[in-house]
Amino acid sequence: MKKDKKKMRQWLRTLLQLLFFIFFSSAFTAAFGGVKYIAAQLGAGERVDWTAFVAALAGLCGFTIIFGRFFCGFACAFGSLGDALYRICQWICKKCKKKPLRLSEKICRALSAVKYFVLAAIAVMCFVGVYPQMRGTSPWDVFSMLHGGNFRLEGYLPGVLLLALILVGMCVQERFFCRFLCPMGAVFSLLPALPFFAVRRSREGCRKGCAACARKCPSHLEIPWDGSYEPMGDCFQCQKCMDACPRENIHCGFKELRGNEIIWTLLRAGALCMVLLWMS
Amino acid sequence: MNGFWVRTASLLAVLGILFRYNAVLENRGREEEFIRLCAQVEAMETYIQNSQEAESQKEDEQEDGLYADGEWEGQAQGFGGEISLRVKVEKGEITDISIVSAEKEDEAYLSMAETMIPAMMKAQSADVDTVTGATFSSTGIRDAVAQALKKAVKDS
Repeated sequence: MKKDKKKMRQWLRTLLQLLFFIFFSSAFTAAFGGVKYIAAQLGAGERVDWTAFVAALAGLCGFTIIFGRFFCGFACAFGSLGDALYRICQWICKKCKKKPLRLSEKICRALSAVKYFVLAAIAVMCFVGVYPQMRGTSPWDVFSMLHGGNFRLEGYLPGVLLLALILVGMCVQERFFCRFLCPMGAVFSLLPALPFFAVRRSREGCRKGCAACARKCPSHLEIPWDGSYEPMGDCFQCQKCMDACPRENIHCGFKELRGNEIIWTLLRAGALCMVLLWMS
Repeated sequence: MNGFWVRTASLLAVLGILFRYNAVLENRGREEEFIRLCAQVEAMETYIQNSQEAESQKEDEQEDGLYADGEWEGQAQGFGGEISLRVKVEKGEITDISIVSAEKEDEAYLSMAETMIPAMMKAQSADVDTVTGATFSSTGIRDAVAQALKKAVKDS
């Protein structure tokens, strides 16, 4: 029974990721376009208007404040790409009976600060107005072009190379891009995410010395206890900790919802769909 | 717990600064508009005085626009496919730019790129800055307008 539920959760997540990948592939670039637009307008001394990009940014930030980084874990096309690559690599390593390469936790923790620098660098470039000259360097542009079936990549060599490097990283470390490099993730992780729907665990059910959840977590997070307000900026809501916990002690949102995570996931996916449709 | 409140305060501060910034700009815009209108009234007054003196000079001002009247179409590559649009020229001036088809463009990106159209009409040319973040769609619109205007340029 427990195993069935776990399987179902994983299948549901894969299915949702696939659907969002196909139908809402440009949400993350549109939202980040809002950040770039605001920085550029401020730099030029122009009014910040309510444009489509700003709406995308506000919509996703609002959703993230209420529900946590559900978008990152279930709907972002780039995140899903990373998940798929990582899984394929793990599978190949298993077949070849090779131990997969892993970055140590210490290096990971240090690298997760890089995304704030990426965000700051892009915002500053937009602010001073040199960003338009950087055309061809963005790996996201290259990804969107390929996703849109546009293969005229001349002039995009730096972007192609960066994308290739990121893809290699994605194979080695789970959520490599999201945790270390994503400038939109940097924005999300700085938001005051409300605790009501975040991942929490109950103190009384935890076995002493067990750290199965932290070991499984792609961000090496230690999950806070019930009632804590502590924001977990790097939690992608991937729900792997729930699957890892031997006592099913981890829940998403209200304690009373425990055991009904599947319905809860569907509800959140529905809400996210509404936000994304409203954006366009 | 602390982290949460620090983040909330920072978010509110950022939003507050953005709204304040917009409000300041709006006030400044209003002042500038007032000064501009004053200057216009003054210019009109002097114009009326002058026009009584020299009425005969009027004739050579007419019909010297760059473009020939009519509706001109242009196409160019956008993000996912071709963008096709129509430029309307009346009395030598661009009076309307409308998108005929842009099927493969993403909605959000296209609507951002369309903000270039008023700027183009103001400049009476396709040569305006592209929209940051929507490079493909806006380059497509710019190139398509440029192509249409190329057809519209008078031969002489």
